Amino acid sequence: MKIMTKYLVSVSGITLAALATSPAYAAGTDAGSSITNTVSVGYQVGGVDQSDIAAADTFTVDRAVNVIVAELGNATTTVSPGQDDAVTTFDVTNETNGYVDIALAVSQLVGGTAAHGGTDSFDVSNVRIYEDDGDGSFDAGDTLVTFLDEMDNGETRRVFILADVALGLATGSVADVELTGTAREGNAGTTGGAVGAAITATTGGDTAGVDTVFADSDGVFDGIAFDDDDYTVQAAALSALKGSTLLAVNYPIAGATEFYNIPGATIEYCIAVSNASGGADATSVAISDTIPGTTTFVTSSIVIGGTAVIDDNGTPANTADDVLTSCDNTAGSAGGSFSAGTVSATIGTVTAGTTEIVTFRATID
Amino acid sequence: MKYFIAFLAILAPASAVLGNQVALDSEVFVERSAEQADGTITVTLEEPERVVPGDNLVFVLTYENTGAEPAENFVVTNPIPDAVVFAEAVDGGAVYSVDDGTTFGLLTELHITNESGVERAAQAADVTHIRWTLTEPIAAGATGQLRFHGVVR
Repeated sequence: MKIMTKYLVSVSGITLAALATSPAYAAGTDAGSSITNTVSVGYQVGGVDQSDIAAADTFTVDRAVNVIVAELGNATTTVSPGQDDAVTTFDVTNETNGYVDIALAVSQLVGGTAAHGGTDSFDVSNVRIYEDDGDGSFDAGDTLVTFLDEMDNGETRRVFILADVALGLATGSVADVELTGTAREGNAGTTGGAVGAAITATTGGDTAGVDTVFADSDGVFDGIAFDDDDYTVQAAALSALKGSTLLAVNYPIAGATEFYNIPGATIEYCIAVSNASGGADATSVAISDTIPGTTTFVTSSIVIGGTAVIDDNGTPANTADDVLTSCDNTAGSAGGSFSAGTVSATIGTVTAGTTEIVTFRATID
Repeated sequence: MKYFIAFLAILAPASAVLGNQVALDSEVFVERSAEQADGTITVTLEEPERVVPGDNLVFVLTYENTGAEPAENFVVTNPIPDAVVFAEAVDGGAVYSVDDGTTFGLLTELHITNESGVERAAQAADVTHIRWTLTEPIAAGATGQLRFHGVVR
C-alpha cells in the first residue's frame, strides 16, 4: 500500500464538483470509466474558519467479461415428424461492462438427459441460428447469423435456432440442442465486419489501465455461456380396422326374417380409423378401399362420420389385436367418391385418442 | 493509479491567519474475500488496480493536523461518486444526505419522495453524501481516519 499525502488547497467556500461521472448501465459501470472520490474538510483554528481542504483519489474500472445464454419458456418445443424450420428461442445477454461480440454455435446432445427431462434420442438436421429483428418472434425479418455484433453493456438480444426434424420418428422422441455464446472483442459499438478476436484475460499482474477479467455467472471463468432446449416429437399413431355387416334392406327374398350372404344381399362395410391417445392430432386423413371383385358398389352409399365400438382385447396399448365390434353412422354425412372399383373418402382430422369411421355399401354379385 | 490533484490558492484566505495546517488524503481500496483451505474467510485490501462492477470498495480518509494549534469544528464531507453505491460507514458518527448535499441527517430520519409524491424511508443506496463532524478538536500532530464501504455500480 502506497501512501501519498496530498496538500490540497482550495479557496474557502468553493466546493469541488465530482471530477468524473460514469453513467451506470445494466451490467455495471463501463470499463475504462474513472471513479473519483473527493473529500473536503472544513475546520477552525482558534475559533477562526480556515480554508477548506480537499483530497481526491481516482481509479479506472476494469472489464469484467460475462455473457449469459438462457433458453426461453423453460418448455420443450413440440414438433411433428418431417417438420422443417422447427424453432426454439434463446435470449443472449451481454453482462460485460462494455461492448463485446458474442459468437454463437449450436451443438447437439448424444444420449443423456435433455433440457426438459426426456432422454435425447435423435438429432435434428439443417441447424441454423437467426437473430431476432426486435419483435420477439421468428419471422421473415430475422437474420441468419453466426455471432451477435457489438452487444452493448447489459444488452439482451433474442436468438432462434431453426432445425429440421426427420420423418418416421415416434411420439416422445427428444432432440436436445445447446446454444453456446462466446464473448469476443467488440469494436466500441461500431457494427459490421467479422466477429471480433478472442478475449484474453489479463494475467501476470494488474495494470493501471483497463484490465480484462472473466466474471462468468456460471462460475467457469472463460467468457463462454450455454443453455439447452429440446424438441419433442408428437407423432400421430393411426390404426385402421374394417368390418362388414349384412343388411336387411333390399334383401332379395321378400319377407325373410333370417339373412344370409346370398347374391343380391347388401353388405355395409365400416372402416374405423383410430389415432392413439398421447400423440398429435392427425389432419387430412383420407382412406381408400378397393371393394371385392364379386360385389357391386351401392351408388352414393358412402357415409363419413359416426361412432365405432372397438374391443381392444384387454390391451389398450396394442392395436394389433383390436376387433371392430360395431359401427353407427347415424351421426355421419354423405360424401366421398367411387371410381374404378375404389372407394375414396376424406375424414379430415382425427384427434388424438379418438376414432372416426367411414361406411359404404355393396351388394353381393 | 492515482491522480494527484492539486488546487492552488487563487486568493489568500483573509481569515486563515495561521495558514493551512491540515493534511488530507483520500484513498480507495478493493476489498477481496478469499476462502482459505481451513474454511476461514480472509479479507484483504488491495490497491484499486483491478476493479470491476460489483467489487466492494473501502474509502479511507486520512487527516493529520500538521499545524501547531488544535483544529476545531472539523467537518469532513465526501460526496459518493456516481459510479459507486454507498454501503455503510465504518466509523460512527456520520450523517448522510440523500439530496445531493442539501440536507444532512441520520439515515433513519431521511426520506425519499418519488415522482408520484410517495415518500419512503431512505436506504444506504440512496446516499449521495456522507459527512462526519468531529466533536473533539484535533490536537497538533494528531492523525485520524474515517472509512466507509461502497460497491462499484
